[in-house]
Amino acid sequence: MSIRLLALIPVAAAISLALSAAVDAVALPLFLDTTGTILATALAGPGVGIATGVVTSAVNTLRNPTFWPFVVVQIVVALYAWVAARAGLFRSFRTAVPAGLGLGVIASVTSTPISYLVFGCTTTGGIALTTALGKALGLPPLGACFFGSFVSDFGDKAVTFALVTSVLHGLPRRTAARFPWALRAIGAA
Amino acid sequence: MTGPRLHPFTLLAIAGTLPALAWILPPPVGGAWTAAIALALAASRGLRPGLWPALLTAAPFWLFLLLLHDVPTTIAIGLRITTMVASFVWLVAALEPARLVEAMVAAGWSASVAYLLAATLSAVPVLKTRAQRIVEAQRCRGLSPRGGIAARLRALRALALPLILSALHEVDERALALETRGLVPGIRRTPLAPPPDPVLERAARWALLLACLAALVRRLLVPSPT
Repeated sequence: MSIRLLALIPVAAAISLALSAAVDAVALPLFLDTTGTILATALAGPGVGIATGVVTSAVNTLRNPTFWPFVVVQIVVALYAWVAARAGLFRSFRTAVPAGLGLGVIASVTSTPISYLVFGCTTTGGIALTTALGKALGLPPLGACFFGSFVSDFGDKAVTFALVTSVLHGLPRRTAARFPWALRAIGAA
Repeated sequence: MTGPRLHPFTLLAIAGTLPALAWILPPPVGGAWTAAIALALAASRGLRPGLWPALLTAAPFWLFLLLLHDVPTTIAIGLRITTMVASFVWLVAALEPARLVEAMVAAGWSASVAYLLAATLSAVPVLKTRAQRIVEAQRCRGLSPRGGIAARLRALRALALPLILSALHEVDERALALETRGLVPGIRRTPLAPPPDPVLERAARWALLLACLAALVRRLLVPSPT
């Protein structure tokens, strides 16, 4: 791995963790905690993306230990983003947003068993409340757990993909060309 | 205070073993023991940096568990989560990142791995401060974070984009700094002051691992009464 890609990993991980300030300012029910993972993958491929996801989870764990078991979700997100980048799905919002919605489903499917088996579906306040809503609607325990994860992940991942697309198109071509995957991800190579 | 004297790997081993045992040992007694030990460790760091954060982080989980499950399940899962939370709160309070980096380098880990953790930890507060500055600057320019979802998403883009682009522009500077300091992948560095790793602690770490394996085998072979 080149020094530039090594330097990208902590920057991308820190982006994921620092975006909470922007989310708080607009008061939207989003996490955007996979932004750095998706961005790093789209710029530099799956190895850098997975490393970013693992580092993000490790540092997040120091703030709240319940994040660590969800490191698997970060790895799945990186692999999915790699496939999306290879297919050039970051070329426009029209391709990125559906791809993000697809990731929302996959992320929910991945996080549901972790949330169910490890935490009894009580990961964070918002998700626990939507899980309780799913239970009140008559869903079985695992179904209610998936409902909680799905509601939180579906929109979040679509917004994240749209945001990464904005960033990739906002990067000067000369800067983008320094990263091995950036131009391919936006369909320019 | 038990923390600072222990080798960083020993601290990690203890913080990893307690939650593992909480999940492996039969509930609720196993979880009660591990939670009690983890809370005692957290309390050993003091009330403010140790016990209170552990209790305050674990409390909402108990509430939501009660909302979603019956009382026996709540107690079983709640004790496991409390163990996990208290162990990590203790770990964060006891573990000095610089000592961990030195220990990792001394153990032959790549300096790049140590750099990733240390650089992320130092970059997060910097970017958070910058994000706050961008929020204030955009507000001065008339950006309103209120309104419908579309308006809020547009505001989010206006806040997030400058933050991410400015961070990406720093990558080259960081790469240059790393190259100047000789952090080339594959090259082994010499730790300046590696933390001492006594034989007793190394043996204790193996004992913790064996205890987890023994508990797991016993749990699989002997059915739980509950």
